[in-house]
Amino acid sequence: MNRIRLFRTTAFRLSLLYACLYSLVAAAGLGFIYWSTASHIETQVDARLQLETGVLLDQYRDQALPALAEAIRQRNRDDGQRKIFFYRLLGTTIAELPSALRAPDQPRVFANLRLREVFPLNQPRYGGDEPVRVLATYLPNGQVLVVGRDLNDERQLLDHTLSVVVGVTMLTFCLVILGSATQGYQTLRRIDAVSRTAGEIIAGDLARRIPITARDDEFDLLGRNLNAMLARIEELLVGMRQVTDNIAHDLRSPLNRLRNRLEVTLLEARGAEEYRTVLAQTIADADALLNTFNALLNIAQIEAGACRNEWTELDLGALTGELAELYEAVAEEGGITWRYSAEPAIHIQGDRQLLAQAVSNLLDNAVKYTPAGGRIELTVSRIDQRPTLSVADTGPGIPAEDRERVLERFVRLDNARSQPGNGLGLSLVKAVAKLHRAKLVLEDNQPGLRVSLRF
Amino acid sequence: MKLLVIEDDRAAAAYLVKGLRESGYGVDHAADGEDGLHMALEGCYDALIVDRMLPKRDGLSLISALRGAGVNTPVLILSALGGVDDRVRGLTAGGDDYLVKPYAFSELLARLNALLRRLRPEQQRTLLKVGDLELDCLKRRVTRAGQPIPLQPREFRLLEYLMRQAGQVVTRTMLLESVWDYHFDPQTSVIDVQISRLRSKIDKGFAKPLLHTVRGAGYSLHEPD
Repeated sequence: MNRIRLFRTTAFRLSLLYACLYSLVAAAGLGFIYWSTASHIETQVDARLQLETGVLLDQYRDQALPALAEAIRQRNRDDGQRKIFFYRLLGTTIAELPSALRAPDQPRVFANLRLREVFPLNQPRYGGDEPVRVLATYLPNGQVLVVGRDLNDERQLLDHTLSVVVGVTMLTFCLVILGSATQGYQTLRRIDAVSRTAGEIIAGDLARRIPITARDDEFDLLGRNLNAMLARIEELLVGMRQVTDNIAHDLRSPLNRLRNRLEVTLLEARGAEEYRTVLAQTIADADALLNTFNALLNIAQIEAGACRNEWTELDLGALTGELAELYEAVAEEGGITWRYSAEPAIHIQGDRQLLAQAVSNLLDNAVKYTPAGGRIELTVSRIDQRPTLSVADTGPGIPAEDRERVLERFVRLDNARSQPGNGLGLSLVKAVAKLHRAKLVLEDNQPGLRVSLRF
Repeated sequence: MKLLVIEDDRAAAAYLVKGLRESGYGVDHAADGEDGLHMALEGCYDALIVDRMLPKRDGLSLISALRGAGVNTPVLILSALGGVDDRVRGLTAGGDDYLVKPYAFSELLARLNALLRRLRPEQQRTLLKVGDLELDCLKRRVTRAGQPIPLQPREFRLLEYLMRQAGQVVTRTMLLESVWDYHFDPQTSVIDVQISRLRSKIDKGFAKPLLHTVRGAGYSLHEPD
């Protein structure tokens, strides 16, 4: 099974293609070497044949035919050693010549022949089948001088070269195939790890992640990206689950309260005025519930990060200026000192509505928890080059150990329970900050709380 | 005043029609987009209340078709989709106002009144008068009984809005949307404080108060009865 899949991997197929290509290139290269060696040898042999023929022709020219015949006889004499050159003087009739040498209109002819076709040497050390290169030269008297050279050694060299060519080509092919198989197997193993993880996640284990090796290769990069994606999906799912849990737990009791009040009211006949009061109360409760519900959905929507098309370039000073106008009046009504300062021309990319709502939530909290005689400061500035918006108050503040917790949904500290609110204000601020990639920092204002958004 | 309610949820529609009739409007009802479009094209209505999601033809396409046919009846869109871009899409399709479900009936009524007023010729006026209070949009001047009243720019816009809706109930949400362009409700009573500041400027020292609080709904600027 695994073997069949191995053959199907892209890595293997690509490698197979490359194996064929490499082998072809190797074969072509070595083939060229073979061919050029062969032609070089032929040129060399032909040159030697011409040299030998030249020496004999010189003798013929100087001392006429008998001297030539004697020279040939001398050279053909059996001295107990294997000869490389063979000589023969053929008669005038064309018919005596092997057909390859018949070309009387040319002064000389080269040919490749078998030894026995031209040289009848009755010596046991020659089989007669040996390949010879032959140069036939027509003498002025009509006779033909034939000089042959044994090509046995050259042929062996070429045969050897050829087998090297074939061998190396096959070896290249085999090595590349082996490499591809290994490569394919490796790929398959890494991919298997990914699909195994995916399978486990599909089966319900959302916490599974793709194993990352120390190699830091493209698979690890892919794995890391997929893991980041999985983390995001898990985060969204957890967020959704949280919303449903919140609805189940935190909306159930106010709904129950509302229902009980109506039920108790119906137990006895009451005056119209009392009914009116109860109904008005019920509407107020329903509104509060709807507000909570909307706030929850709003936070979930912001956390899902789905609303980027309203983004524009915003002047933080202008954004906070409008809110400052609204809250300054509220602070003054409550006997709280209001301070507002904004450095000019601090721009960020963002959603005006969401940011205004987040700042408004922070200011709502500040106004709610700052006692008369206290102070609220809204500041827009650059801190370490980063646009920073902060709201500081002189209220009770939040203990350091609770600063993380208060950002969660529906978390209200004990001393906050006397104040109206649904425990979602800071959760929204957190979601908005995250959407804008801003850092949300809660600090001690000594006394009080300072909340900063660092963009 | 005749209204057409195009809403497929029968219970919601019945409640809406009943409430609107009790508030003194003549109301017709259509249960799907196609019927609604025909009725809106043929009938003579002062305003339409259109649910965004309707069978046969959705609310936004209905409004586009209506506007394409040259019908300029004001449209109030009702929708369960409350995102800012949903709102923008609703308004660009030709809607005049956008109300997210669930809504308070008093909110719907106040917005409907504002819509119906928007078409009247006096809305184009630049000199507004309520009792002895006068507001000149061009000179950006406010006087009461001839006495000039200095206002901050935002207070001026707030008063202008209230005066254009004189005699009608204006909700806090409407003020936040129209005067501040905020589509969320702050938890603190920021609007109440703004109103009380405005009130102290225009009503203080005068026998007849003009700016009234309507319990459970909002505010109204009018001469006392």
